[in-house]
Amino acid sequence: MYIIQNALKNVVRNKGRNILLGSIIFAIIATTVVALMITNTSDRIIDEYRGQFGIEVTIERNTQTFVDMRQRGEAAMGISITNEQFIAFADSDLLQRSVIMNSAMIYSETVTAIGQTGELAAGHGFAIAPTMQMHGNNWEDFANGHRVLVVGEMPVRANEVVISEELAELNGISVGDTIRLFGTVLEPAAAMGFTPPVFDLVVTGVYFCAAESVGTWGSTTMIRQNEVLTVADTIPGAAIIARYYLRHPSYIDAFEQELRAKGLHPIFDVNTDEHLFNAIVGPVEGMRGIVMTFMIVVLVLGAIILILLSSIAIRERKYEIGVLRAMGMKKAKVALGLWFEMITITGICLIIGIIVGSLVAQPISTELLAQQQETAQNIQDQFFAGREIAGLSRVVNDDPITEINISLGMDTMLQIILISLFLASAAGLAAISKITKYEPIKILMERN
Amino acid sequence: MSILTLNNVSYRYDGTKKNVLKGVSASFEAGKVYAIVGKSGSGKSTLLSLIAGLDVCTDGKILHGENDLKQIDRDEYRAKGIGVVFQAFNLITNSTAIDNIVLSMQISESNERDKKSFAYELLEKVGIDKETADRKVLKLSGGEQQRVGIARALAHNPNIIIADEPTGNLDTDTENDVLKILSLLAHDEGKCVIIVTHSKKVSSIADEVLGMKDGKLTSVNQGK
Ligand SMILES: Nc1ncnc2c1ncn2[C@@H]1O[C@H](COP(=O)(O)OP(=O)(O)OP(=O)(O)O)[C@@H](O)[C@H]1O
Ligand SMILES: [Mg+2]
Repeated sequence: MYIIQNALKNVVRNKGRNILLGSIIFAIIATTVVALMITNTSDRIIDEYRGQFGIEVTIERNTQTFVDMRQRGEAAMGISITNEQFIAFADSDLLQRSVIMNSAMIYSETVTAIGQTGELAAGHGFAIAPTMQMHGNNWEDFANGHRVLVVGEMPVRANEVVISEELAELNGISVGDTIRLFGTVLEPAAAMGFTPPVFDLVVTGVYFCAAESVGTWGSTTMIRQNEVLTVADTIPGAAIIARYYLRHPSYIDAFEQELRAKGLHPIFDVNTDEHLFNAIVGPVEGMRGIVMTFMIVVLVLGAIILILLSSIAIRERKYEIGVLRAMGMKKAKVALGLWFEMITITGICLIIGIIVGSLVAQPISTELLAQQQETAQNIQDQFFAGREIAGLSRVVNDDPITEINISLGMDTMLQIILISLFLASAAGLAAISKITKYEPIKILMERN
Repeated sequence: MSILTLNNVSYRYDGTKKNVLKGVSASFEAGKVYAIVGKSGSGKSTLLSLIAGLDVCTDGKILHGENDLKQIDRDEYRAKGIGVVFQAFNLITNSTAIDNIVLSMQISESNERDKKSFAYELLEKVGIDKETADRKVLKLSGGEQQRVGIARALAHNPNIIIADEPTGNLDTDTENDVLKILSLLAHDEGKCVIIVTHSKKVSSIADEVLGMKDGKLTSVNQGK
């Protein structure tokens, strides 16, 4: 195909001009390569993160709906989620994972709670007020390092428990001992003859807890060292606490529909807690945003400059095009030749741009990420400060992403090639559309 | 049989008011050499441009055989039907002489097998040796460029050859060579050759001489 041959020759013939055009194309491509590499890698990391940890779902009573119902005289107080529902909710393909925990208020005649001063007595509406809590299947603090098993083993069967170092020491309990605990009974129920459930539990291990052993509001149940930890089966009737983690934040609506179908009352709102997620991937997303904006600006400005430059370049070649047309070359073929020249120049720039771009992408992203980190750290600290006071703990792996390994994937490659092709064509077409308007006689006779 | 017929042809350049050609009629036959003479600015080059199919006339008709140039694919006509030697050469200046010729053959889809050696031969005929043929047109003298222009007009073996002052930059010897080639093409190969010229020598080899004045073909003299 002589058109292509001729185009290739022209690329060499017009070296000076093409080097100028080429440098601009190169600058655009190199920037785009860096930007795309960073954004695509960021996306991948964010996706991986989502896949790994999921997005926690919160199911909360809507206060406004509650108040409205009460004003309408409807019974809003008794509406709750049953244990069966909590368990049924967990059965969903939309979830990355779920954790079903339960807990019960307890007291003991033989085990003295930390901070407990007087004798067991009635209080808070109970026949005997609780002094401790028992948690089933709640291992979050072990996962995030706030609690560590120091002696023995973790419970695996019903009626096996771990207790805190402090509690063990205070009561002289060691691994293998059996302790007796009681569940609470409300005063009216006790008056009707209900007796508290009895738990005879084997201590399989002792844990260390990092939290301060200070109670709030004078209640020893709030002291974290007073928590007896076991598997969910130990306290089958106890109130369930469930945590659901979606595969993707966008699944929230579908998940809510599932819950409603399983009988979740409208008084409950179903939401996701993207805050934590954002705190972790925030820096990466921040960097991605900056890079994206930068890329778009470069692309738009670059395209404009390129179109202007190539129109000027083509105008210089008006005469040459007139000659080709006079020799009988069809407009389409002239245009094809010019487009092919543009593509060749772009192709060369693409290769150099990809090489240079991939070399500088890593240092640029490391630098950007470090800057984002600082900003994100402040926001995150504020957010978690409140949570920790309330006794809540950070979930697994809450450290923000501080390092990403930028790499050039196939998708990035394809995007860059498409963008380059588009740039070359835009520049080519802008110029071609100008030049092919003239009849050759005009071009040639103007020169005479 | 007329191969080219001008029928009351008028032409006005875009954006101008005055007609450069004012009702030109003529007919050209195969196997003959025509000379068009006339003052500078009388419209000779313009007329050749229209015959070359570079534009269509504002009024009137130009027929190639039976076909109106306005109706046919003029790209095809320029590529295959006609060879043009321009007054200003109109070569691709940053490319070599040989590339110019080969490109023209490629555009006209010439079925010459070895285009390059054919082009070298052709250039040789008009007095351009291989070393000169491999040089960029920019680096050729006016006369050399003119000869490259002539070779290009002949490269695709067209039936009509039009030449605007083809010998204006040539020495007497080369002029004689070129004229010999052109008259052989007409008389032996049956081409129609139209030459715009100021040269007496060119007119003297023409079968017919036409005079151009103020956009009109005024007198038709018998040539030699
Ligand atoms: N592109 C153009 N636009 C407007 N007018 C033009 C253009 N080209 C030529 N003319 C005008 O048309 C007229 C005829 O020009 P043309 O070049 O045909 O003359 P010519 O007979 O070839 O002259 P010469 O012997 O000097 O080559 C002149 O008046 C010229 O000024
Ligand atoms: Mg002229």
